Amino acid sequence: MADASDEMSFRPSPQASLGIELELQLVRPHDLDLSRDAADLLARLGRRKLPGAVKPEITESMIELNSSVHSGCSGLLAELEAMRAAVVEEAGVLNLRISGGGSHPFHDWAERRIFPNERFRAIVERYGYLAKQFTVFGQHIHVGCPGGDEAVYLTHMLTRYVPHFIALSAASPFYQGEDTSFQSSRLTAVSAFPLAGHMPFVADWAQFGEYFARMKGFGIVSSMKDFYWDIRPKPEYGTVEIRVCDTPLTVRRAALLAAYAQALAAHHLAERSLQPARSVYLVNGFNRFEACRFGIAGELVEPYSGTRKKIGEDILESIARVAPQAAPLGCGEALEELAAMVRVGQSDAAWLRARHGARGSLADVVRDACARWETPG
Amino acid sequence: MTLDFLPQLPFAFSQPVLFGALLVLGLLAGEAVRRYAALPRITGYVLAGVLLGPQASNLLSADALLDARLLVDLSIGLIVFELGFRLDFGWLRRNPWLLVTALAESLLCFWSIYATLAYFGFRPLLAAAAAAIGTATSPAVVMVVAQELRAQGQVTERMLLFTAVNSIFAYLALTLLLPFLYFEQASGWQDALLHPLYLLAGSVLTGFAASVLMLRLAGWIGQREEGQFVLLVATVVLTVGVAHSLNLSVLAALITLGMLARNLDRGHVLLPLRFGHGGQLFFVILFVLTGASLEFEALGVAAAVAAAFIVMRFLGKALALLAFGRLSGIRPGGAGLLAVALLPMSGLAVVMVQDTALFYPSFGRELADVVLSAVAVLELLGPLATQFALRRAGEAHPDG
Repeated sequence: MADASDEMSFRPSPQASLGIELELQLVRPHDLDLSRDAADLLARLGRRKLPGAVKPEITESMIELNSSVHSGCSGLLAELEAMRAAVVEEAGVLNLRISGGGSHPFHDWAERRIFPNERFRAIVERYGYLAKQFTVFGQHIHVGCPGGDEAVYLTHMLTRYVPHFIALSAASPFYQGEDTSFQSSRLTAVSAFPLAGHMPFVADWAQFGEYFARMKGFGIVSSMKDFYWDIRPKPEYGTVEIRVCDTPLTVRRAALLAAYAQALAAHHLAERSLQPARSVYLVNGFNRFEACRFGIAGELVEPYSGTRKKIGEDILESIARVAPQAAPLGCGEALEELAAMVRVGQSDAAWLRARHGARGSLADVVRDACARWETPG
Repeated sequence: MTLDFLPQLPFAFSQPVLFGALLVLGLLAGEAVRRYAALPRITGYVLAGVLLGPQASNLLSADALLDARLLVDLSIGLIVFELGFRLDFGWLRRNPWLLVTALAESLLCFWSIYATLAYFGFRPLLAAAAAAIGTATSPAVVMVVAQELRAQGQVTERMLLFTAVNSIFAYLALTLLLPFLYFEQASGWQDALLHPLYLLAGSVLTGFAASVLMLRLAGWIGQREEGQFVLLVATVVLTVGVAHSLNLSVLAALITLGMLARNLDRGHVLLPLRFGHGGQLFFVILFVLTGASLEFEALGVAAAVAAAFIVMRFLGKALALLAFGRLSGIRPGGAGLLAVALLPMSGLAVVMVQDTALFYPSFGRELADVVLSAVAVLELLGPLATQFALRRAGEAHPDG
């Protein structure tokens, strides 16, 4: 076991490099409920040569795709597409279907079974039913940072954009067989954990190290993994990790979200025009709720100016602001595509609700979501 | 005071009393073996049947069993319908090795039993008919055990798929043997050809017509769970009734109905199938009645044949699964467990023997001696084997 100082030494990585993790739903075709074939699917994928990595998650109904590190979003998208195709093909052999989306619309959490490994068993031991309820599906975006101080700064900066990422990715309107009226109901499952929330208001990596050492001294945490924050520095990867996104219904949207995170990071690390402010955390709870509940139609309070505006409007302004840094990274077109979706109010949550309206049953919603994920491109 | 209003002695109990008592006793026996011996509930149902049947107390006489045949057909009908409904042609298309494995499993098992019986000196026709019946895994047992354990996973899914395939194979093989039976009885060639043709075409057409009806009506009713449930049960009961009246095969008609209802449903009008507690009712009836129909006399005489039958049947299945299992994408160790899970023989075999005996009583008698002694053993061993395999595969629910 590495000691605290090793664990907390920040491994620098190229500024604004990019990688994502995607948690996926394994669905059985005959009743469209979640299946529990993660181990079999992972064994099959393990025998293939894949660009990224595929890993187990807390219950046997999920798998996680990890991309490799990329400099831009087009490379990321190509890799995700190759992984998507491989997963769908191997799943077909086992009569499984794969779906994106932040929640399975009607599965019964009590029916889930924990993936048999030490870490997950320990989580169940500690958190009880929260562990099985944690069968929700998220996208995590990693953005590279040259050092720990930059990571702390970037974490403070990106917190302002938490409602953006929630609204842009929202894909969990249904939960436990009901329409939640939320665009993203998934984050509620995350909030139940005692170490959920956000990073404390520290100024630099040294202060963060002190905070971590104290928490470890109290015996509250043993590693960075124990913090279920919305955004957290990840010293072993040398990244800041955004964890609020639902897994979108397509790999394309997943890549677009990553491009947006990359452009924001490039912008803030280059300009350094804003200083971390406590007001960001003052309005965070309200903004976050608005985004979960109403998506891009919700309202947020801009923490630096104190003005109130539509989340969608704020996203469009922010995309325009970071455009100069986006172009050299090659993600200008991606941001335009994202902006176009915001302008017409297009979201995955709305798509899922529309399918439910057209088809009438949640089983059909799952089938359509699977078909969407399984379609190339 | 005449007390005329009191019933006469001895009490003439009506069918419902017998029926209710059968359910209660089956239920109690099922719970008892589960609680005190950790055996599958089915074993208890069967034991209750044995105790009630002609072999023991004779509360359920041979005549009563004959009267109850429609109930058995209804139960088997519901079960094979559900089995057919689980058979996904899409899976076979995406994974062609699966179909190869399933066919190899049926063929090798058939051949293995046939060779064994031929070795014991049974004449070819009898050996082939018994081998055909022996190829089928009991759909009811595997489905009930899987349900009871709340098993989910690759071994469970494949067990159901292979059971569907080997049941269809068994039925087809037995039907194709009919002409030879006619020749053996020196009947005319017209009957010899027309009877199997009538059975096959009639049963499949009945199943097809019922599936079209079901899909049409389901489309009209819409995605309402209660409405669709009633429709489902109604169509199944109707199809069993029609097949029964027309002397067709309940098995073939209902498995066709299940398969086509699932695979012709392009617009996805049918909701996922859930029989829930209602299904349990039919399971209890089926197993108690099967238990009552078991025969143990032949077992004493033909113990060696029955033992060889069972062992070679298992080896046939195991060999095919071990040979092709990996190609069909099952995890290492899964193929062996699958072979064990596919061991059960039960009500379906009894029904197939009875159906043959209906037309050819003497041949049916000989067939019964061979097959039913194996059934008697596997009726008790089979559920245990399936339970063991699914638990060992890690697919049973921890509280199941």
